Formats: sequence, C-alpha cells, structure tokens
Amino acid sequence: MPQLDTSTWFTTIMTMLLTLYLIMQLKLLNMNPRQLPLTKNPNLQTHNIRWQPKWTKICSPNSQSQQF
Amino acid sequence: MNENLFTPFSTPTILNQPATIPIILFPTLLILTPKHPINNRLTTIQQNLTRFTLKQMMMTHNAKGQTWSLMLTSLITFTATTNLLGLMPYSFTPTTQLSMNLAMAIPLWAGTVIVGLRFKTKNSLAHLLPQGTPTPLIPMLVAIETISLLIQPVALAVRLTANITAGHLLMHLIGNTVLALSTTNLSMALLASTLLVLLTILEIAVALIQAYVFTLLISLYLHNNT
Repeated sequence: MPQLDTSTWFTTIMTMLLTLYLIMQLKLLNMNPRQLPLTKNPNLQTHNIRWQPKWTKICSPNSQSQQF
Repeated sequence: MNENLFTPFSTPTILNQPATIPIILFPTLLILTPKHPINNRLTTIQQNLTRFTLKQMMMTHNAKGQTWSLMLTSLITFTATTNLLGLMPYSFTPTTQLSMNLAMAIPLWAGTVIVGLRFKTKNSLAHLLPQGTPTPLIPMLVAIETISLLIQPVALAVRLTANITAGHLLMHLIGNTVLALSTTNLSMALLASTLLVLLTILEIAVALIQAYVFTLLISLYLHNNT
C-alpha cells in the first residue's frame, strides 16, 4: 500500500501543518467583515449621563483627601 | 493488478519533486477573503457558510471550549475542501494519506485530553469509570475505558483514511468495469447509473468531515465540561 511508504510522510505532514495551522487560520481570521459604520448603535452616548448622587459623595474633596 | 489499483494513492511527484506541497496548499486558494464591507456573491456565500458552520459547531460549548473555534473551523474547512476536490478525476486527495490524518488526529486529541486533565482533573479521570458499575468489575472496566480513550486518535485517523480511500478505489473499479463492459450495452447502463449513484453518495464525504470534526468536538466537549 503506497500510503505506508514513510519516505514521503515528512513532506506531507509538514505541508499539512503549514496549511492547516497557519494559512487556513489566517484566511478564516480575515473572513470576518468589518462593521458597517451605520450599524453602530447611535444611542450609546445618551445612555446614562445623569450624575448619580453617590458619585458626589465619593468624588467630593473631603473624601478624596483621605485617600493616598 | 495490485500495483495499478493503488497508484492513485501514492504521493505524486513532478520531475522527482514532491507535488504534494502545492496540492495540499491548493484548497487555501479557494477560500476568498473579503476586502470590502459588501463583497461579491462567492465571497458572501463562503462567509455565510463559515458563519453557519461556526455557529452550529460552537453552540454547545462554554467559553473555554469556544477558544477552539478557529482551530475547528479551519479543520472542517480544510478537510471538506480537500475531500471534495479529490472527487475530481485524476486528482490526488491528501486525506488518503495516513500520515496526514495521524498528524491531524493525534495532536488535536492529545490537546483535548490535556486540557481536560489540567483544568478538570477529577472530572476527566472520572470518565474512566461509568456510573453504577459493581465493585469487583472496577479494575477491568478502568482498563477497558483507558484503552477506548487511547484508541480515539487512531480511530479518527484510520476512519478518515479508510473511508476516503475506499470510496476512491470503488469509483476506480466501477469506472473500469463500465469501460470494459461498454461493448455489451446491456450492463453498461446499469453500471453507469450505479457509478452516478456512488458519486453522489460519495459526496457524503462531506458528511465524513462532519463526522471527523464532530467526533473531535465530542471529545473536546466531554473533556471541557462534564
């Protein structure tokens, strides 16, 4: 059976490793499309811009002077 | 007769240089990479297919298993395109080479076992003993389960090799038969239809790739979770 002729095994295995693990994966990585600019959610900025009262307590000068 | 049958499976050489290198590298040329947000139809078809298989394969895994998604997607794409290209007449199919299938199966299987042993040692070792076995049978059953675990990579490789080789051989044989019987027209029609049916059934070579990746997936799944 010619498949059991081990003289060609090295070439075959090396090429397969190269193809499978390097080239194929690089191609698949580049397959993901870049996002269209319009598909980004425009409402992200208006999510939460109200000042929450707990931040006043944390960010006030009195509390910050205690932190080193 | 023996020499003639198996010569399609010997590694091809052009002017004594190994032609296996460009042959194995060829399927990567068929995978198109998109450059624009909207691509042509072929690229979009490939993209959708890849995304579909990726989703189907990786749905059952947790976050840790999904780190393998690139490896498994490239595996299934490579094996599927290689096997389908081998269906063309006079082509060489690299997956008929035991060397390549062993080199694919053993590292990937060993990777899944090592991941399972490293991160979930107790769980993966507990798989060696099925639940509810009577106590005197335990040593024997552990030995049997260990053997069945160790035989997984060999089974993966030999399964792929044998299936593809057998299919190709059968097509060669039936083709030769049809040619030899073409003088007597009665049998030829029947055999030609058999060859056609066999060819379409042999596009269950793609199902074989499914089987390959799926069995690999199953072992990965088992080793990662419970």
